[in-house]
Amino acid sequence: MKIFLSGGAKNGKSTLAQRLSKTLAGSGPLYYAATMIPHDEEDEARVARHLREREGWGFETVECPLEPHAAMEKRPRGTVLFDSVTALLANEMFSARGIDPDAPQRAKQSLLRLADWAEHIVFVSDFLYSDAGQYDEWTNAYRRGLAEIDRALCAACDTVAEVCAGAVILHKGVLPE
Amino acid sequence: MDLMIGGAFQGKTAYAKERYGFSDGEIFTCTAEAGADFSYPCVRRLEQYALNCLRRGIAPEQAILARREEWKQAVLICDDISCGVVPMEAETRAWREATGRMLAALSREADTVTRLFCGLPQRLK
Repeated sequence: MKIFLSGGAKNGKSTLAQRLSKTLAGSGPLYYAATMIPHDEEDEARVARHLREREGWGFETVECPLEPHAAMEKRPRGTVLFDSVTALLANEMFSARGIDPDAPQRAKQSLLRLADWAEHIVFVSDFLYSDAGQYDEWTNAYRRGLAEIDRALCAACDTVAEVCAGAVILHKGVLPE
Repeated sequence: MDLMIGGAFQGKTAYAKERYGFSDGEIFTCTAEAGADFSYPCVRRLEQYALNCLRRGIAPEQAILARREEWKQAVLICDDISCGVVPMEAETRAWREATGRMLAALSREADTVTRLFCGLPQRLK
């Protein structure tokens, strides 16, 4: 089963995604696709907190800050928690080398390939499209690219849900029991 | 009138084309400079029409309701710009509020209201 979750920040997407991927994995391999590249102490503290929160859940952490299908495909097929699409696109698009306009296409293809490979997968993205912000060209290209990836993943997934204050608004399919 | 709303880049226009079979030539895109042309069967970016009204010193809600006869058979599409922090700039603040009031008024007038989320339609009315 393929599940896509989005919504505002701190609404419970990651917690739900963790629970769903654990349920889907059963006794099979369960991978956490780690997308964050820590840039400072605040990021390192966040990574440490996330690691603590996943302790005892049986996740194998796989570092995949870029083109995630490549790192994952070397392992036995299993269930993937991919958190988050937002971070992956930021890594692909903005680096010390500059801004890469081809990043959204590359990230999209890699994620679709990963979805094909996985036995089950839960994607987590962020909904950042309903404000009145006037963004610069590249921030807007990032938002447009992320939305395009989200829409492609939603078309490929069995279930699409918006998470709001920990509650679920189903847009497509059903959640596993 | 059918109203489509949703965040930026969520597939509102693509969905309208699929649902009603509109060609590109049947869809008018509003701009802050030119405003709206409601002679088209589908009018999108109504939030830009709202900005056009504000810059002409008129309230978008009243302005669009006064033109009801022109769009009562149309499909209207608008970006939801209502979330996020209160904007620093006075015009953006006024624009956001005026767009919200316009959408609430249009929603009351609409036969159907559909919200697009990641390309998926959610029927609100």
